[in-house]
Amino acid sequence: MSDPSAVDPSDYPRKVLFVAGAGRSGTSTMAGLMKILGLHVPQPEVTPDETNPKGFAEPQWVVDHHTRLLREAVVQVSDSRPEAWFETGRVSTREPERIATAEWLESHFTADGGHAELVVKDPRLSWFLSLWRVAAVRTGATPVFVTMLREPAEVVGSKQTYYANKLGSAHLAASWLNMLLHTERGTRETVAGPEQGSGRVFVRYADLLDDWTRTTMDVGERLGLQHVLHANSEQIRDGHRFVDPSLRRMSQSLADLGLPPRLHELVGETWEQLNALAEPGGDTEQAHTHLDELRQAYSDLYAEAEAVSRSSVVAAEHRVRRERKPGGGPAGGGAPGPAAQGGPGRRPEAQFAADKVPHSVRALVPPKVRTGLRKLVGKQR
Amino acid sequence: MTAHAGPTGIRNLEGHADFDVTWPWAREEPLRAGSTAVLRVKDEAPSLPWVLPPLLRSMDHVVVVDNGSTDGTPEVVAETAERAGLAHRLTKASYPFAVARAGAEHRAVHELSVHSLSYFYNWCFSLVRTRYSFKWDGDMVLTVEGETSLGDLAWQVGDAQTIIRVPRHGLYLDSTQPQRGWLDLGLRNAEEWGFPIGPDFLFTKAFEWEVRTTPKPVRSIGLPHGLCVELKYLDGDEFAHWTDPASFATSYRNKRKRREWAVYQALQAGEVPEGVHEITAPDGVHVVDHVTRTWLPQAPRPLQVGTVVTSDDQRA
Repeated sequence: MSDPSAVDPSDYPRKVLFVAGAGRSGTSTMAGLMKILGLHVPQPEVTPDETNPKGFAEPQWVVDHHTRLLREAVVQVSDSRPEAWFETGRVSTREPERIATAEWLESHFTADGGHAELVVKDPRLSWFLSLWRVAAVRTGATPVFVTMLREPAEVVGSKQTYYANKLGSAHLAASWLNMLLHTERGTRETVAGPEQGSGRVFVRYADLLDDWTRTTMDVGERLGLQHVLHANSEQIRDGHRFVDPSLRRMSQSLADLGLPPRLHELVGETWEQLNALAEPGGDTEQAHTHLDELRQAYSDLYAEAEAVSRSSVVAAEHRVRRERKPGGGPAGGGAPGPAAQGGPGRRPEAQFAADKVPHSVRALVPPKVRTGLRKLVGKQR
Repeated sequence: MTAHAGPTGIRNLEGHADFDVTWPWAREEPLRAGSTAVLRVKDEAPSLPWVLPPLLRSMDHVVVVDNGSTDGTPEVVAETAERAGLAHRLTKASYPFAVARAGAEHRAVHELSVHSLSYFYNWCFSLVRTRYSFKWDGDMVLTVEGETSLGDLAWQVGDAQTIIRVPRHGLYLDSTQPQRGWLDLGLRNAEEWGFPIGPDFLFTKAFEWEVRTTPKPVRSIGLPHGLCVELKYLDGDEFAHWTDPASFATSYRNKRKRREWAVYQALQAGEVPEGVHEITAPDGVHVVDHVTRTWLPQAPRPLQVGTVVTSDDQRA
């Protein structure tokens, strides 16, 4: 038997670990652990702040790239529209974006003498999984995915606390549903063959905090991450120094959110199904079928809500028009733009002069209408 | 909508009631989310083992309609899906009527005849049960990147009323030399393959072939080049579905066919035209696998594709 430690890490097969999931779900902890165990986080990283003092393990370029693409697609980080997935998917088919993403990835595979295993994480990542999968294919790397799962009530509570999000729990819960149901769909295996095959793992944040060694080693084995498989004692000690079980500071139940009944039911069922994916042998065709049904049920619910609240959209259109008329005053107020809602002001967000229209209403405006409104107020995007 | 389309479907002129068309959205069962690829095939047995696996992996469902094959195509379809472990995503059907060949023959047939290309297409797509569809050919093979791209768009598209254009490149094969092939990157060709399922998107008659109706304006997006190859056999009859290859010369619409004819003739004569890459796969690897899994995915981007442009590509 050959000695695995005889293999130079730069000779490991190329692999990119994409850490997906809703923001505030433990994605930073997972990516941070992977970094400690030897996977490379492309530099420079976003600097830590009070919302995440141990760091984000997020490459700054990725954050900037996604922020720009979201803006082009007119999609927000916490966007509850099912159709938003086509908008970001459409942007991801553009050849210049594919080239830029693949070139960036290649440059980090070859940087500093070579890093064979990279970890890429950003709360916006789920929107662009198709773009990154293409970049991995072009650089001869295998894309693998870990999706972090955290009780939706805790995610919503955490976002409201840390991001001063005044959007309301119903909107945040709907965004969570939209994000998780489609991230699950977007990480299913589509490319066959051992050399091109992708893999995915679902990890509960609570499990990671409870016993990170078991959870992380399981991820390493299932995704074939060589650095995790061959981590040394000092790296493991560093892992223990890094993980702080008190990170899970939120503790509230779904009932505390006071969601509309159908939304409450969908969130509960989705959480149950996602949990099943995190169990050994739980990622089955049957589970996919159930999640497909939930995704459809959510899309139907959203379409109904859009139809019911049409008057709010029309009123918002009229308000913007009136504000643009002479004497009506400029639209503005410095409200953070669509891409600004995923972070606590640490990102180079565009300041949409946009509007004083509440986000919950803006999110309901169809893209075509939104484009028209932007033209009306003299904004290109 | 075409003038001949009824609210729930169309009936054929010949009175074959079992081949009347009921629109998918007019059925009791609502359409499911997702995408279906529809292939109309005739004697495509050699190509389908390459065509079907990536398509079955990337689509929610695949419908294959056989139209009078004599080379065992239906059996190959079933075996290939079974081998890929994806037979549950496959629907097989058979259309027993001779369909008019493209060109003059097509022009002479009424669009409500079972022999009409557009009627045939409408019947095939009436078997779709998802909200989005891709027209696909029995010789079109996705590259790894193509499979990835289509696999994502297949669910991302949702209810978006948009057309998706998929570029493809001719890959000419010589059955006696499985490691060798010729890839035509001299032609820019991106035709409309993805359409929503609904009353705005039906098949009707165009001059040489069928065309799908669209509302006006309609949104359209295009995938990058290098995601799909179309297999062409130098020792086969690649132009059998045309009434007369001489008719390629009649209009701008036939530019792609003229290019294919020119490349086919040149390669038959032992010449490699400009824009065509001669490719040799490593030992033991078929050139189709090499081109779709290695050569094209790793070719420098943007892919250098020639300047012969088809009309669909200009729509972008």
